[in-house]
Amino acid sequence: MGEPANDLPEAAERRFSAGAFSSGLSVPDFAACLEMGLEPVGFVQGFCAMQWGWYGMSGYQRGMSPYGGTAGGYVENYQCPHGMRSVDHRSWGQNYQQPWVEKAWTDGFASAYSRMLEEATALGADGVVGVVDTFAHLSEEGVVEFHIHGTAVRVQDAPPTVLWPWTTYLAGQRLAKIFEAGYVPVCIVAAISSVRVWAYCVTEYLMSRGGVSAWSMDAEVTEIEQIVSARTAAREIVRAHARGVVGGDALHGVDLAIREREFEQGDLEIECLLRGNRLRRFKDFDPLPPPQPTVRLS
Amino acid sequence: MTNPELPKESPDLKAEVRRAVASLADTPRRGDSTTSDLSIDEELNLHSIGWEPVELVSGVSVFSVPWRVWSWGQGEIEAASAAHAQAFRYAIARIHSEAAGAGGHGVVGVRVERAVHATHIEVSLLGTAVRPIGAVPVAPGEVFVSDLSARDFALLVVSGWQPLGLASGASFVYAPRRAVSAVLQQRTQNVELTNFTEAMYSARETAMARMQETALALKGTGVVEVKVQEGPMPFATHAVAFASWGTVVRLANNVHRHIQPKMVVSLDDPVLLFDAQTLG
Repeated sequence: MGEPANDLPEAAERRFSAGAFSSGLSVPDFAACLEMGLEPVGFVQGFCAMQWGWYGMSGYQRGMSPYGGTAGGYVENYQCPHGMRSVDHRSWGQNYQQPWVEKAWTDGFASAYSRMLEEATALGADGVVGVVDTFAHLSEEGVVEFHIHGTAVRVQDAPPTVLWPWTTYLAGQRLAKIFEAGYVPVCIVAAISSVRVWAYCVTEYLMSRGGVSAWSMDAEVTEIEQIVSARTAAREIVRAHARGVVGGDALHGVDLAIREREFEQGDLEIECLLRGNRLRRFKDFDPLPPPQPTVRLS
Repeated sequence: MTNPELPKESPDLKAEVRRAVASLADTPRRGDSTTSDLSIDEELNLHSIGWEPVELVSGVSVFSVPWRVWSWGQGEIEAASAAHAQAFRYAIARIHSEAAGAGGHGVVGVRVERAVHATHIEVSLLGTAVRPIGAVPVAPGEVFVSDLSARDFALLVVSGWQPLGLASGASFVYAPRRAVSAVLQQRTQNVELTNFTEAMYSARETAMARMQETALALKGTGVVEVKVQEGPMPFATHAVAFASWGTVVRLANNVHRHIQPKMVVSLDDPVLLFDAQTLG
C-alpha cells in the first residue's frame, strides 16, 4: 500500500507528545506483543470520506455505450439473436469493468491508510498491528467513509526503521506464529473489483422467467452465460489487482467478500472486495513435526 | 543424537522479530507469489505434512429454471434438480481448471455457496489450491476439490486417507395439494401433513442417492463432512428441496493409520457465568 500522508492535524501531534500510550489490543494480544518485543506506542487512525461520481447508475443510462466499453478494462458484448422486435427489446448487452468505482474506492482506502501511517510515523513506530478497517455508507448518494485503525508498535532494541511502518491485520499469538514460521509482515492489502452487467434479451428472459420455453413444463435448463462470465471476471480482476500489489511476496489469510446489487432483471453490479496480509519470507521454512492429535477430557 | 520426542529448542522470539523486521530493508528474496485464505495455523498444518498453498481459486455457475415448474405437478421437479446438478458440475469444473492452471493438486477449505431462486440456481465455490511442496502441475482432471479445512485435510492425510472430490446431490419434489374436503376437515385438528413429510422423504432419498453415485463415480469409499440443506422455498409453497454435499474420500494405500490421540486433561477452571434466571 501507499506511503504516509503529510497532513497530520495539530491536535493529534499534541496528543502524541503527551507521554501515555493508547492501544486497541486486547490484554492477551498486548501480552503477546510484549513477548515478541513489540512495544505499543499509540492507537493510530486514518479517515477519508469519498463520493462516487457515477455510483449506482440507473436504467435511463442504458443505451449510452453499447460497444464502447472501458479503456483497458474487461468488456464483453452480447448481441440479440432475434433481430429487431420492439424498442423495449434488449437488442444488446454488455459486461464491463467500472474502473472509476474501483479508483474511487482505492483512493479512499489509500488516503485513510496513509493518514494512519502518518500518525504511526509521528510516533516513531516501526509497525502497526491489529489493523481494523471499516467502510460505512454515510448517505444514499454514494458517499463512503473509510476508517482504518490499529496499534502502532516499536521493536525493542532495534535500530530506527528506514522505511515507513509495516502493517498487518494480525496481532497477538497469530502474529507471533507468522514470525516463527519465517515470515515478516509487509503491509495490509485491500483491492476491489466492480463489474456492471447490462443484460441482453436472453439474459433478461432467463433471469426473469427462467427459460426460453417458459410456457412448457419440460423446458430444458441452460447456463446463464452473461452472468457467469461477469461473476468470473469480477473474481479474477480483484485477484489480479491484489497480485499486482504483492509482487513476489505471499498474500495470506485472504478474505473475499462479494456484494451484488440487482437494478432490474439481469442488470447487476458485482463488487468483490479482497483483503489480506502481504508477508515476506525472511528465512527458510522450518516445518513443524506432524501435530500430535489429542482428546481433551473435561 | 537428538530425541524426536523432545520439543525443538524454542528460538529467541524477540531476536527473530528484530531479524525479520530488519530484513524489510534488504532486497526481497525471490520467490513464487502465493495467495491463500488459510490461517497461519492451517498453513503450518499443511507444511507439517509436506504441502503448501498456491493460489486462491474459484468456480461459479448459474443455471436457469423455468419459473412455471414450481407451481403444479407431481413427483420430482426434474428441471430444478437438473439445474442444481449442472450448476454444481460446471462450478467444480471451473475451479478444477483454475487450480490446475495455478499448479495446484487440490483445493481445500472450499466455501460452498448455493442459492435457489424461482428462475435460476447459483453455485459458487472458493478455496485455496494446494500441492505437495515443489510438486509439478497436474492436469485439471487429477485435481481434487474438498470442503474440508486445511487442518482436517492434514488429519485425513496423516491417517492414510485421501480426498477425491466434492460430491453433491439435490432433489426438488412437489408436495401434492390436499383435497378441499381434507383441508376443511383438518382445519381444527392437530394432524401430520403427510404430503409434505412424504415429499421431504422422497427428496432426501433421491438427493442422498445422487451424492453417493457421485462418490462411487469418483471411486470413493465414503463421503465425510456431509452438509444438508432442506425445507420449503418462499416462492414455491408446495415444493420441498433437499441438497447434500461433502468430500469423497478413500484409503490412499488400503491401510488406515491409527493416529492414537493423546488424552489430555485441561487444568483450566471452567468459567462459571452468573445465571440471573436462578434468582428466586
